[in-house]
Amino acid sequence: MIEAAKTIRAGEEMLAEIERRSGQDVSSCYQCGTCSSTCTATLAFDYPPHLFMRLLQLGLVERALASRTAQMCYDCMTCSSRCPVGIDVADVIETTKNIADESGRSRPPKEVALFRRLFLRNVCRHGRLHEAGLLAWYNIKSGQFFNDLSLVPLVLRKKKVHLVPPRIRQRRELRRIFRQAKTKPGAK
Amino acid sequence: MRIGVFVCQCGTNIAATVDTEAVAEAAMSMRDVYHAESIQYSCSDPGQRQVIAAAHQHRLDRVVIAACSPRMHETTFQRAVIQAGINPFMLEMVNIREQCSWIHEDREVATTKAIDLVAAGVARVRGQVPLKRGRVPVVGEALVVGGGIAGIQAALDIADAGMPVTLVEREPTIGGNMARLDKTFPTLDCSSCILTPRMVELKHHENIRLMVSSEVTAVRGYIGNFEVDIRKKATCVDEEKCTGCRICEEKCPSRAPDEFNAGVGESKAISIAFPQAVPLVAALRKEHCRQFIKGKCGVCKKVCPADAVDYEQEDELHTEKFGAIIVATGYRLFDWEGAYPDYGGGLYPDVITSLQYERMLSASGPTGGHIVRPSDGREPRDIVFLSCVGSRAESVGRPFCCNVGCMYIAKQAIQTREHLPDSRCYVFYMDVRACGKGYEEVYRRAQVEAGAVYLRGRVGKIYPRGDKLVVMGTDTLIGDQVEIETDLVVLAVGFAAAEGAGELARRLNIAYDGYQFFTESHPKLRPVETTTGGIFLAGACQGPKDIPASVAQASAAAAKAIRLLSREDLETSPMVAEVNHMRCIGCFKCAEVCPYNAIEKQKLHDGRTVAVIIESLCQGCGLCNVACPPQVISLRGYTDNQLISEVVEVLR
Repeated sequence: MIEAAKTIRAGEEMLAEIERRSGQDVSSCYQCGTCSSTCTATLAFDYPPHLFMRLLQLGLVERALASRTAQMCYDCMTCSSRCPVGIDVADVIETTKNIADESGRSRPPKEVALFRRLFLRNVCRHGRLHEAGLLAWYNIKSGQFFNDLSLVPLVLRKKKVHLVPPRIRQRRELRRIFRQAKTKPGAK
Repeated sequence: MRIGVFVCQCGTNIAATVDTEAVAEAAMSMRDVYHAESIQYSCSDPGQRQVIAAAHQHRLDRVVIAACSPRMHETTFQRAVIQAGINPFMLEMVNIREQCSWIHEDREVATTKAIDLVAAGVARVRGQVPLKRGRVPVVGEALVVGGGIAGIQAALDIADAGMPVTLVEREPTIGGNMARLDKTFPTLDCSSCILTPRMVELKHHENIRLMVSSEVTAVRGYIGNFEVDIRKKATCVDEEKCTGCRICEEKCPSRAPDEFNAGVGESKAISIAFPQAVPLVAALRKEHCRQFIKGKCGVCKKVCPADAVDYEQEDELHTEKFGAIIVATGYRLFDWEGAYPDYGGGLYPDVITSLQYERMLSASGPTGGHIVRPSDGREPRDIVFLSCVGSRAESVGRPFCCNVGCMYIAKQAIQTREHLPDSRCYVFYMDVRACGKGYEEVYRRAQVEAGAVYLRGRVGKIYPRGDKLVVMGTDTLIGDQVEIETDLVVLAVGFAAAEGAGELARRLNIAYDGYQFFTESHPKLRPVETTTGGIFLAGACQGPKDIPASVAQASAAAAKAIRLLSREDLETSPMVAEVNHMRCIGCFKCAEVCPYNAIEKQKLHDGRTVAVIIESLCQGCGLCNVACPPQVISLRGYTDNQLISEVVEVLR
């Protein structure tokens, strides 16, 4: 049972923080469900995106902060691109995740944290994502050596993944961006 | 006697199940039939030309069209036979579509039935004689019943067209429910600011006569010629003398319920409902007045500087003639208290109706525009709105939508935020219906700007906890029960027909539905007409509606009334009763049963007194025909002989 008057008042401050940082108006969500219809990751979620928004609307911010949704959303942005109100739903979820991480309320699952770290290192090194490299590193570091290995011949043949890493110019500039980002508060 | 029979194929509508050629062939062998043929679409232009040509060629004097219902195309074919030089009443329509081809599957059976029906039609038309329509003058004045926004709009429209109008209002002032509203959606403009100019305009319009505290008690007559009894109730105040100074109200010692303010606050036995009342005249309610209950008081009479109070005043009865009547009696709120014990059934003072809330929002209301809890006068912090109380609920006998609840909740939530910036509104809803122009925007504004929290679900129970109320509901979106401890609960109560609506409908002889809302003649194509000619509908008396829709319908009804009043006379149906004076025994059973007072006595030269039909009054209902003991009254176009020969043909 939700004591709505209490929860809404209790969650007011935290919701304002999420709205400020994401620049989104959570109250403008009219619960049509387009985000959830279109979401590619709900199988990994405990709350599909529209329910995640509803949690915030009812002031149940703590539930949202502790949710798997916040941690498992991989920002594909499909929900944001299809929202009829124009809410950047992914940004709301992402912001919630950031707040959860900063405040130590939740910790991403081990694999998620590892993937994020390897992903950023990969982009920092090559300037663009080198998928084959990321895949290899992830399998090695996570100990799941044979994960998805059967797909390798197929994706190579279809040229979805390239063995040779991409190269960009001015990689030095890129590194500087990364270095600067690390000095921002809340960055790890 | 030369009869022509035309069997319509109606494309495949008839021809698919009825062998129209066979019907035409069978018709040829019927008595007095000189021509019969099957036509693909008889109502089309070529089809009508075919009928006219055949009538000329075969010198026909009677025509039978076997096609659809006469309700569809009788006038079409009457026009056609007139062009062929035949009296329009010498045409007989035989319905072989709705009553034959559409309801049968077996072609053989359907064809046989169609032949029988055509034979009956031929038999009937054989007994027909040429008839002529009479003319009856139209009274050029309109009556509008009800002085809410719909009645005001209709009266002004007709009066502006230059026709005299009488507006009858039951209450001592016009304005109706709109006068009680603070603001109106979707634009949130002040209700009285847009209404009162209309009220004043009506009061001073040279073509409008305003009768307040008055009711229609009886209606006689018919389209163009209604005779209406109006009772003007005694208010113990002389309308001419009263200046509206309200000293009587101030000094009156008798308290009385404040109906205008929906029971928020109190009124006096002699009072003026609101400062902008039109006419600005006090009215005394005897049932609450000390002078009438105890027999002594007389304070108002003593203090009145205009000497307008008159305890001896009596009801006045007026009988007036009108050509058209517009009914605009409006609505009242559904009586929720008995139906919703779960919401306290009226026991909790802080559970109020939306109309009571509206009166609180109004600056001229009993709280001076302050939102307060009726129980202790404190400002509420949390306010819960419940939609669909007495709407969309089969269990309380109100299955329909009130049309306005969603919008006024959104409006009141926005206003609440303006009045009390620190408050929060919670709205329990089933669906939000915001279908009008600019309506969705109001709903979104309530959510986004006014911060109203919408919870999707009906409330199961309200109970007190300390000095607060606990609302037990659900939010089906999150899939969990929701409980709100709140200071004030506002119920969006649905519409009911005005008190006495059914009784008025019976007086007017118009149809009404199970909820006493008046029924329009056709839900799409005749939305302002009633089933009785010359009586039109405007506003919420026909069904729940908002102000824009009421005003639109009122103007539509006015246009229909103007169309009628602008005619000098109307054609009457020639299908009226006729008395064979030679055989009338003068018993006047006919006069007893006639609902239209269309039969009078006449003394003949031979000294006998017989019944005579006043053709302009007779509506051809046939009651006298049945009641007449010596069977000497017949209905033109439906004589006993015609009907019997028709039946004989069917049974043959």
